[in-house]
Amino acid sequence: MFKVRNLRFKYPSSKEYTINGIDFEIKNGEIFGFLGPSAAGKSTVQKILIKLLKGFEGEIEYYGKPLLSYNDEFYQDIGVSFEMPISFSKLTAMENLDFFKKLYKQTVDVEPLLKRVGLWDDRDKKAGEYSKGMKIRLNFIRALLNKPKMLFLDEPTNGLDPGNARIMKDMILEFKKQGGTVFITSHIMSDIDELCDRVAFIADGKLREVDTPRNLKIKYGKRMVKVEYKEEGSLIVREFSMNEIKTSAFCELLRDKDIETLHSGETTLEEIFIKVTGVTLRG
Amino acid sequence: MGRLLPLVKGEFDRLNKYNLFTANFVVLLFWVGLAFFFEGEELKMFVPVIFLMDSTMMTIMLVGASLFYEKQEHTMNSIMISPVTEDEYLFSKVIVGVLNSLITVIFISAALYFVKGVIYNYLLLIPAIIIVTVVHTMIGIRLSYHAKSFSSLLVNFMVYIFLFLLPTVFATLGIIDANLAKYLIVLPPEISSILIGALARDVELWKLLFGYTYLSVLSFVLYRFMIKPKFNEYIMRETGV
Repeated sequence: MFKVRNLRFKYPSSKEYTINGIDFEIKNGEIFGFLGPSAAGKSTVQKILIKLLKGFEGEIEYYGKPLLSYNDEFYQDIGVSFEMPISFSKLTAMENLDFFKKLYKQTVDVEPLLKRVGLWDDRDKKAGEYSKGMKIRLNFIRALLNKPKMLFLDEPTNGLDPGNARIMKDMILEFKKQGGTVFITSHIMSDIDELCDRVAFIADGKLREVDTPRNLKIKYGKRMVKVEYKEEGSLIVREFSMNEIKTSAFCELLRDKDIETLHSGETTLEEIFIKVTGVTLRG
Repeated sequence: MGRLLPLVKGEFDRLNKYNLFTANFVVLLFWVGLAFFFEGEELKMFVPVIFLMDSTMMTIMLVGASLFYEKQEHTMNSIMISPVTEDEYLFSKVIVGVLNSLITVIFISAALYFVKGVIYNYLLLIPAIIIVTVVHTMIGIRLSYHAKSFSSLLVNFMVYIFLFLLPTVFATLGIIDANLAKYLIVLPPEISSILIGALARDVELWKLLFGYTYLSVLSFVLYRFMIKPKFNEYIMRETGV
């Protein structure tokens, strides 16, 4: 769907490139996670892909044609959910959605969507009176308004309670199931792990890794199993390599000892993030 | 251009909901109240001042406030990721500015007719209001590009007024030579004042022809070279980059 080759971008006020020669591809129907520390260039890449930032170097193709060859009708295809609220505060949620609906050729019925995210009963409340979580949910519905082929989601579950975050993630997965493509940035690694088919890590304007979460975990994880068991009142911890788990020593241990915990050496996306970008996650 | 209508309607709805129309209406009431104290020739000379203030100052303030709210609430981001083109977005601001000025003309004219029985030559007034509002909407947009807040927009506006009105004041006071003063006609507030003032006093035909031509060319130049090319830069800055 999107092919990005040797993308470089420098803000007019900056001497250095914010994005310094990155290549990646977003395939049709996949959920592509874009991860990186603050100011690494995630939002810049997203803004370039949604044509808010022009003047980049390199090539970006959308459905095989240069992105910039598309006129504003490109926006009929995409939906964008920003991290910050983007509603007219003195208009009700319904008035906001009605205004934006009129700007598109094709739109959806918002009633089931608003009901799904729990905003239907508050549809006639001014957006300015909404809580942060409600504003984020309204942003998400705004992104779905034009029945897009592709969604760009910036921190879609940030600030949501677990129940609403679950609903949002289910809706993203359903969007994908119906053939939609998603570009997502988030600091919540469990969400990325759960949602994304592939993830890219960006740091200092360069891509450090692009792969499936599974492959990354294998690459960065330890091929071992850690066993914790009790013996004569004390806790013993032993580690076995993947080859050793076929041996009788490992099988006997499982059979004869009072096993307390059993862990694989698979790493988490959070650990990979820290290793790859060299930055600790915050928030 | 198919999205102009919803954009214009949406802009009107917001001017109403954000109480900007109310603020405008209060100012109009003030003008009408003031006009009540004038009679005859004085009233004839005073009314064009109301139209001039509304189509210049109020126009700049309204478009500035509208852009300021869109920046503050990030709704500009949401509009810019819709199929709305830059031209549609900017034209909608101009159209709303013009319609708003025309509403003012209707309101003031009706009020003065009922209170004082005054009627003006609207064939002369309406084209002048339209062209003056178009130019000043563009000036308002351009001033907003550099305004970080609503207060800084007001400062930009004061600088504009200071720079462009001061020479006229100097000419009136005789500080600027009369030969030089005739060239002040190229200043937007001066030529706007001449076009709208034609409502109450005789203005040479060449000045009217020059005024309409000059402001039309100025609108085009402002849009083509100062508003459109800088719009993307403005969007880049205001969409949180």
